[in-house]
Amino acid sequence: MDGVSVTFTVNGRGVTATVDPRTLLVHFLREHLKLTGTHIGCDTSQCGACTVHLDGKPAKSCALLAVQLEGAEVTTIEGIAGPDGMHPMQAAFKEHHGLQCGFCTPGMVMMGIDIANRHEAPDEVTIRSELEGNLCRCTGYHNIVASIAAGAKVSRAHARDASG
Amino acid sequence: MYIGQAIRRREDERFLRGRGRFVEDITLDQPIAHAAFVRSPHAHAAVTHVDTTQAASMPGVLAVLTGADWTSAGHGEAEGVWPVKDMSGADSRTAYRPLICVDGVVRCVGEIVAMVVAEDRHQALDAAEAIEVDYEEKPANTITARALDPDTPLVHPAFGTNEVMVTEHGLKAETEAALANAHHVTEVVVPTNRVTAASMEPRAYLGHYDRVNDRYTVWTTNQAPHIVRRYFTKSLHIPEHKLRVIAPDVGGGFGMKLYHYPEEALVLWGAIECDRPVRWVGTRSECLLGDTHARDHHTVGRMGFDENGKILGVKFETLAAFGAYESQWQASITNAYHFTMLSCAYDIPAIHTTVRAVYTNATPVDAYRGAGRPEAVYQVERMIENGAQEMGIDPLELRARNLIPPEKFPYQTALGITYDSGDPPVLMAKTKALADYDALRAEQARLRAEGQWMGIGVAAFFDMAGAGPVKMMNDLGAKVGCYDVASVRVHPDGRITVFAGSHSHGQGHETTWSQIAADRLGCDIDHIDLVEGDTDRVPMGIGTWGSRSLSTAGMAVYTAADRVVAKAKRMAAHMMECAPEDLDLADGEFTVKGTDRKLSFAAVANASYHSGDRPADLEIGLEETSFFDPADCTYPSAVHLCVVLVDPETCAVTLRDYWAVDDVGTVINPMVLHGQVHGGLVQGIGQALMEECAYDAESGQYLSGTFMDYAIPHAEDVPAFGLDSYFTRALGNPLGAKGAGESGTIGAPACICNGVIDALWHLGVRQITQPMTPRKIWRAIEDAKRAQH
Repeated sequence: MDGVSVTFTVNGRGVTATVDPRTLLVHFLREHLKLTGTHIGCDTSQCGACTVHLDGKPAKSCALLAVQLEGAEVTTIEGIAGPDGMHPMQAAFKEHHGLQCGFCTPGMVMMGIDIANRHEAPDEVTIRSELEGNLCRCTGYHNIVASIAAGAKVSRAHARDASG
Repeated sequence: MYIGQAIRRREDERFLRGRGRFVEDITLDQPIAHAAFVRSPHAHAAVTHVDTTQAASMPGVLAVLTGADWTSAGHGEAEGVWPVKDMSGADSRTAYRPLICVDGVVRCVGEIVAMVVAEDRHQALDAAEAIEVDYEEKPANTITARALDPDTPLVHPAFGTNEVMVTEHGLKAETEAALANAHHVTEVVVPTNRVTAASMEPRAYLGHYDRVNDRYTVWTTNQAPHIVRRYFTKSLHIPEHKLRVIAPDVGGGFGMKLYHYPEEALVLWGAIECDRPVRWVGTRSECLLGDTHARDHHTVGRMGFDENGKILGVKFETLAAFGAYESQWQASITNAYHFTMLSCAYDIPAIHTTVRAVYTNATPVDAYRGAGRPEAVYQVERMIENGAQEMGIDPLELRARNLIPPEKFPYQTALGITYDSGDPPVLMAKTKALADYDALRAEQARLRAEGQWMGIGVAAFFDMAGAGPVKMMNDLGAKVGCYDVASVRVHPDGRITVFAGSHSHGQGHETTWSQIAADRLGCDIDHIDLVEGDTDRVPMGIGTWGSRSLSTAGMAVYTAADRVVAKAKRMAAHMMECAPEDLDLADGEFTVKGTDRKLSFAAVANASYHSGDRPADLEIGLEETSFFDPADCTYPSAVHLCVVLVDPETCAVTLRDYWAVDDVGTVINPMVLHGQVHGGLVQGIGQALMEECAYDAESGQYLSGTFMDYAIPHAEDVPAFGLDSYFTRALGNPLGAKGAGESGTIGAPACICNGVIDALWHLGVRQITQPMTPRKIWRAIEDAKRAQH
């Protein structure tokens, strides 16, 4: 293997590594950094279990090579909770039973945060439409939709408090 | 009381923080090698030559293993857990799914021919590609309806037929007479499409052999680790006491993760051969191909009515696909769960069913959420719907005339099964009110006048859940005892560990089992931990499947906790100088009735382990185990109702509304219950509208190998759900609880298909096979138009 050096940020920490150029970001996160919360559910970027944030926007880490990320900022499910506890979106998923087996959950939460970032008060139709890239086989989506709506509301309130 | 409360789940935080521990996440002290498999690209072929020479010398390759190596090592097969039993008593034509091709013939696409073990994933895949296999193709058939045609190629020529077995149930003469004398007879051909569970976590296995201590460990994506352990005695001939099976966090199972799959046996074999831990994680394509498939029945039904719409009798003739081989639990569908449920929620005096199980050159079929019951309900409900439409009776009214009235419970069906409790008319009335049915019919008429196609679908059914009792399930064919097990261990500080033989892969047992235990033990729920999924820690278990865990393992928790309380009361009574029956236990304290004398549970627990001052005949310690064999299955029931809109331009179906009213007996946690129903509904919706494991009819090639080809519902494909419930107590367990895991999947396909037919009946459409895609709907409308000219 001819390794390629790459430097980027994961969950606020600088990472420099020499990687096999064919290494996917999801494998790099899971196997090199041991951040196993990001999952692989389909190999064809349909399921969204591998969703992370790349420079603040959702991205499917199974469809990116680690070597593409020079200088990028990546946030994974392990990087969103604050020192005082879970992120409001994580808390909303617990409160509204938005997860069952937990496998698609990290991707759903990362997508949910992005939906909340882009929509003032996302309604059911918006949330369902925005979840076109995320599959769940346990919950029937009903409670995921409720979780994201509630999480968005709380996130919005937090943002207001922080700015006000 | 915790039972009945929507306690938020105790397991959630680790998943939400990305700290779940799935098989792919497990790390070991030794580096883990990777397995890759060479699979048959043909539906049926002779394997004439396998050349592994080049692969074996490639970088990182630790071993290349074939069927010849498996045979020379003396390894075995995945014997049936629920094997075929022909009701005539004749020998069945059993061919268990091979763990690796050993007889020189592959009989479905995806069958494993060779395995490579290498240092990393890429090396394993590269080497697997370098293995040269010569195949001589043979004619193949993947279509169930054609399996017994005279010119259809034989999957197993040695049997001389594709028929595995024939089973007949019910009242043959009475049914024939009822149909002969009926005022109206409806006939419908009702095939049930081949689908697959498609859990979001792909199957994965990690095998390890500790040569020093002669101990084996397998981490597996499985729902029943003790059953896996049992079947390693048949595949690799490992004695049960030498093998530890761990099913850690598992990302959805739905029945599909119940089996001793080829890859599971092969990774442990590889670990033994290479003296290294070996892991395989399935790609989605490998899983859509190699995970067991489900349903795939081809049924013709005839239902006879009197002039008032009362059902007089119904007859079914079914071809049930096995695929290329008999999967381990296959006959639980054909011999236990399908025929028993053909009365649904209706009082039908005469039912007769014949099932011919058949081999085809397709992936083996086995249990998937519902397992036989979605097929049964679809078969019955499609005929009731067409009968009502043909007779011009409102479909809900015709159903109401046939529902089993509450005074007939316990109700024995014409198939010999007895539903212990239920009240279908109440479920129907609640559903009707919830949906505002009369307003929906008015809306339908209004829209139809405007050229819009709206349909209302209904299904009413019973489920047989909660397997055992052991004897009943043995009689229905099970070779495993259908009980379950729990130990309740009180530690000296009064805190509690519960060990259960069930396995939670989304069901939330850490919460619900703790609710049961905390109520029985009178303690804080946070004082309880649950251990599942480890054969070295949990004494025994039959696992989570068939909506059985609450009424078996949950009741074992209940029973073991009660035994702990009984023993603790004896110790407490000794310490408090009173009689055990004078003591109450609540909020972590024993109280002498009618007094303010108290003693903490923790103090009693401590004394139970460390005090020499105890009753002479009371053994030290505070731990009890229950092997709970329920007195009966449980029989949950439900009524579903939906509204569909079919677009006249595109023929696309919009599922606008869905209501379900369930009777699942005592509810432990309504939040978890509703989650189970939601999830099941969407899997049933997928079966009705979009999912299909498709094969090319000519070549037998598999066409549904990715999520671009196998369509599972997205969030925007389904509506929010309106749920309600009603309670009748189950008689077979002390809590009166019934199973709740499968109701959604069982009812939804029938309900939605009835809705689409209702929307299109006025156009002359009488039946559309699942999945009801726009293309099939368009075709059905065009065919109906032509038939009318």
